[in-house]
Amino acid sequence: MSESLQDSIKPWLRASKSLRPMILLVSIIPLPAVMISAYLLKIDPTMSFLTIFFPIQALGAAIIGYRAYGKRGIGDALLVVIVTFLSIFVMVMLLSVLWSVIFQGFQAMSFTFLSQNNVYVSTTTSLEYGGVGHAILGTLLVVAITTLLALPLGIAIAIYLTQSQSKVRGLVRTLTQAISGLPSVVAGLFILSVIAIDPLFQRSGLAGSLALFPLMLPTIARVAEEALKLVPVDLRYAALALGAPNYRVFFQVILPAAKSGLITALLLGLARVVGETAPLILTLNANNGTNWNPFEGGLATLPTYIYGYLGSNYTNSQSRAWGAALILLILVGILFGLARILSRSKSLKSKAKK
Amino acid sequence: MNMSTANSALRAEGVSVWFGERKVLEDVNLLFPNNKVTALIGPSGCGKSTFIRTLNRMHELIPGAGLAGSIYLDGEDIYGESVDAVNVRIKVGMVFQKPNPFPTMSIKDNILSGLRLSGRKIQNAEELVETSLRRASIWNEVKDRLNDQALSLSGGQQQRLCIARSLAMNPEVLLMDEPCSALDPGSTRRIEETIIELSQSMTIVIVTHNMQQAQRVSTQTAFFLAEDNTPGGVVEFGLTEQIFNGPVDQRTNDYVNGHFG
Amino acid sequence: MSSKQASAEVKRKLAAGPLSLADRFFFGTTTAAAYFAFVLVILILAFLLVQSFPIIQRQGFDFVLGNIWNPDQGIYQLGPMLWGSLLIAIFGIVIATPMAVALAYLIVFLLPKRPATIATTLVDLLAALPSVVIGLWGLFTFGPTAAGWAETLNKYLGFIPLFSVQSSENGFFRSPFIASWIVAVMIIPIITSVTREIFSQLDRDLVNGALALGGSRLSVFRRVIFPTSAGGVVGGVLLGLGRAIGETVAIFYVLNLSLDINWSNLLEPRGGAIASWILAKFGESSPEEKQALMAAGLVLFVVTLIINFLASFIVNRSQPWRKN
Repeated sequence: MSESLQDSIKPWLRASKSLRPMILLVSIIPLPAVMISAYLLKIDPTMSFLTIFFPIQALGAAIIGYRAYGKRGIGDALLVVIVTFLSIFVMVMLLSVLWSVIFQGFQAMSFTFLSQNNVYVSTTTSLEYGGVGHAILGTLLVVAITTLLALPLGIAIAIYLTQSQSKVRGLVRTLTQAISGLPSVVAGLFILSVIAIDPLFQRSGLAGSLALFPLMLPTIARVAEEALKLVPVDLRYAALALGAPNYRVFFQVILPAAKSGLITALLLGLARVVGETAPLILTLNANNGTNWNPFEGGLATLPTYIYGYLGSNYTNSQSRAWGAALILLILVGILFGLARILSRSKSLKSKAKK
Repeated sequence: MNMSTANSALRAEGVSVWFGERKVLEDVNLLFPNNKVTALIGPSGCGKSTFIRTLNRMHELIPGAGLAGSIYLDGEDIYGESVDAVNVRIKVGMVFQKPNPFPTMSIKDNILSGLRLSGRKIQNAEELVETSLRRASIWNEVKDRLNDQALSLSGGQQQRLCIARSLAMNPEVLLMDEPCSALDPGSTRRIEETIIELSQSMTIVIVTHNMQQAQRVSTQTAFFLAEDNTPGGVVEFGLTEQIFNGPVDQRTNDYVNGHFG
Repeated sequence: MSSKQASAEVKRKLAAGPLSLADRFFFGTTTAAAYFAFVLVILILAFLLVQSFPIIQRQGFDFVLGNIWNPDQGIYQLGPMLWGSLLIAIFGIVIATPMAVALAYLIVFLLPKRPATIATTLVDLLAALPSVVIGLWGLFTFGPTAAGWAETLNKYLGFIPLFSVQSSENGFFRSPFIASWIVAVMIIPIITSVTREIFSQLDRDLVNGALALGGSRLSVFRRVIFPTSAGGVVGGVLLGLGRAIGETVAIFYVLNLSLDINWSNLLEPRGGAIASWILAKFGESSPEEKQALMAAGLVLFVVTLIINFLASFIVNRSQPWRKN
C-alpha cells in the first residue's frame, strides 16, 4: 500500500509520523551517554542504565508527548516509558535465569551425565565421570508414588465440588485452598513428625512422596475442578434424560468431555512438585548410588542433588549442579508446554465447531 | 374425542411445583392422550418448561425443588416411593431446546449412548441405529458417515440426532422443550413433520412459544399462565382447534390473538 | 385457574438422591475424598501442635518475640528469623509489585496480540520454575550483580539508615537485599498473573467510555483501571506475600542466617528467614530442638494460612462477579 494511500485511509497515523525521527533520537542518544559515564565515572553499567539512561529517555519522551498532545501527553508518554522500562527489566531477569541455566548446564551435559550415578565421584572429579542418572530415577520414583495418591484423590475432590449439592462444599473448597498455602518445608516437617512417632516408618522415598502429597493435591483438585466446570451442563441433563444413573453420566459423558482439562491438571500437578526441594531434604537421605527401592534406603532426586552441590566451591561440582538444573528445567518446560498445548487445542476445538 | 383416563397413559393430578419457598405452579391437572401430540403454550416464565420437567423427574435435579400431587404413567405414580427416577426417564424421553449431542462421540455412538448410559445390553446395534435415524428423518443424510463426529452436523441435523438418540430408548412418551426455537425455519419444518409421524407410535408433549407450530403439530393444547407474583397454572386445556378458534376463557383468547406476549 | 377443593397439599421436598448401589458408592467415594482434605489439614495442624506444644508452653509469647536460640539452655525463640522473613518478604513485594503491575499493564493494554501471548507464556514459565533453580541463579549469576548494586547504593545513599552498613569490608554478598530480589523474582509471576486477569476482565466498555469522554491513557489508568482493580491487585500481592514468606531454598545460600537481629539494614550481611532456618538447623539437632523447629513450622503455616485467607477474601470481595 503506497504511503499516500495509507495516509488517506488512516489519517490518525499522520501525527505520529512526524514524531518518528524524534522518538528515534530519544532512544539512541542516551546510549553513548551511558557508555561515557560508565567509563569515566566508573559506574557499574546496570546501575547507570537505571540512573542515566532512564531519566534521559523519560525526559525525552515527556518532551515528545508534550509536542504531540499537549499537557496530557506528558503523562501518557511517561506512563508508557515507565511501564516499558519496568517490563523489560523483568524480562531481562527472566531471560537471565533461562540463559544461565541453559548455558551453564549445557557444559555438564553428556550421555554419561544423564545415565550414571555419583558413587565414585568426588568434588573435584572431572565432568566426564559420574552423572545424575540416579537422581533422575529418584525423582521419577518419588513423583510417581505421589501422583498415584494425589491424582485420584484430587479428581475425586473435583467431582465432589462440581456434582454435590451439599452445603459443605464451600468448606471443602476453602480447605483445599488452605492446603495449597502450606509452605513446602512444613509439609516435610509434618511427615518427619510422623516418622518421629512411628518407628516403623523411616526416611525413605515413600516419606518423600508423602511429603510432596499435600503440595500436589490442591493443584490437581483446583485445575480438575475448572476442567469439570467447563463441561456444558446440558450434556449432563441430556445424559440423565436418557435414563442414566449419575456415575454412568460421569464416566461416559463428563469424563471424556473433560479429558484434556484433567490431563492438564495432572501435568500442572507434576510441574508443581517435580522441583520441590525442602520437603525432600527433610525426609530423604541422600545417596550417591542408584537405588530402585523407594521404600528403603537413601534416594537422590534432582532437586536435592542440586541443593547438595550448590554450596560447593569447586567449579566441577557447580557445573554438576547447573547440569541437573538444566534437566529439571527441561522437565518442567516439557510438562508446562504440554499443558499449554492441551488447553490451547481444546479452546481451538470448541471455537471451530458450530 | 374421548379424553378419558383410559386413553391417557400419562396424566398429572393436582400438581404444584416449588423452587425452594417460591411456588411456581399451582394445581395442574392434565391428561396426555396416547399417541397424540399435546402442546403446552403460554407466555415466557409461566412454568411450562418447569412442568414438563416434572414429567420425567428432571425437576428434582434443581436444588430446593418441591412438588405436590401425582403424575401417573401407566397407572403408577412416578413419584411413588419405590419408583426409581432413572427408570422413569427410560420410559419418558426428552429433547431439549438447544441440541446437545455428546461431543466426544460419533453419530453412531450418540444413538447408542442411551443404552450404554442406562446399562442395557445392545442387540443388533446397526439395526437400532438405522431405525432410530430413519424415524428421526435423518437417515439418508448421515448413513454414509455414521462414524463422523456428532458435532460435524448442522444445528438442525444435531437436533434430529438428539431425537434419534431418545428414540433409540424406545420411550412411551417423548417430551420436547421448545425443540425448534434454536433452529432455522427449514429445520423447524422438518422436525415438525417428524413429530407428527412419531406421534403414531408414542405420546408426545411439546412446549412451544410458537402458536402456529402448536396449531400445526398438536391435537390438544394446554394454555399456561402466571399472573404477577402468583403461581402459574393451566387456564384452559382442550382440543387445539378449540383453544385457538373458540377458547372458553378470555385470557386464552387474549393470548392466542396476540394481545399480549 | 381451575379451582380444586382446598385440601391440604402435601408438599414434598424433592432431592435427586442416588438410589442405586453403584451410585451411592460413587457419591460416597467422592464425598470421602472431599472430607479427606478436611482431615488432612486437621492432621497436619494436630501433629505439629503435638510436637511443638511443650516448647510453646514453656516459652509462651517469647517464642515469637524473643531472640535467643540456645539448644544447650533449652531456649528457643524465633524473633530474628520471623522478622527476617517479614523484612525480606516486604522488600520483595516493594520490588516486585511495580514491575509486576507494569508488565501486566503492558501485556493487556499496550502489546499487540502475538507479543502479548509470548510474554504471558514466558511469565507463566517463570512461575513454574523450581525454587532451587532460581536459588542457583541467584547465587552465581545474579549475586555478583546485586552485590554491585548494593555496593553502589551504600556508596551514594549510605546516609539513609536503610542502606547503611557497619563495615563495607564484609562485602555485600549475603544480605536481605539480595534475598529480597530473589524473592521478588519468584513472586512477580504470581502478581502479574492475577493483575493480568483482572485487567483483561475489566469491562472494555468502561475503558472505551472513559476514552470517549476525552481521557488520556494516564487519566484512564488513574481514574478507571486502577480503582476498579486495586482490590484484586492487593489480593494478588498478598498471595505473593504468602509465597515469599515460605521461601526456603531459593534464598538459603544467599542469606547469612544470624541471630543478631537485623531490623532494617538491607545491605548488612545478616538476615533471617524461618523456612531457611528450619532447613539449616534440622541436620544435627537434638530431639528437643527438633520440636522447637516443628513449632517454628507451625508458626509459619499459621502465618501463611492467615495471609492466604486474607488474599482470597480481598480478591473475592473486590470482584463480586467472580465466583471462587
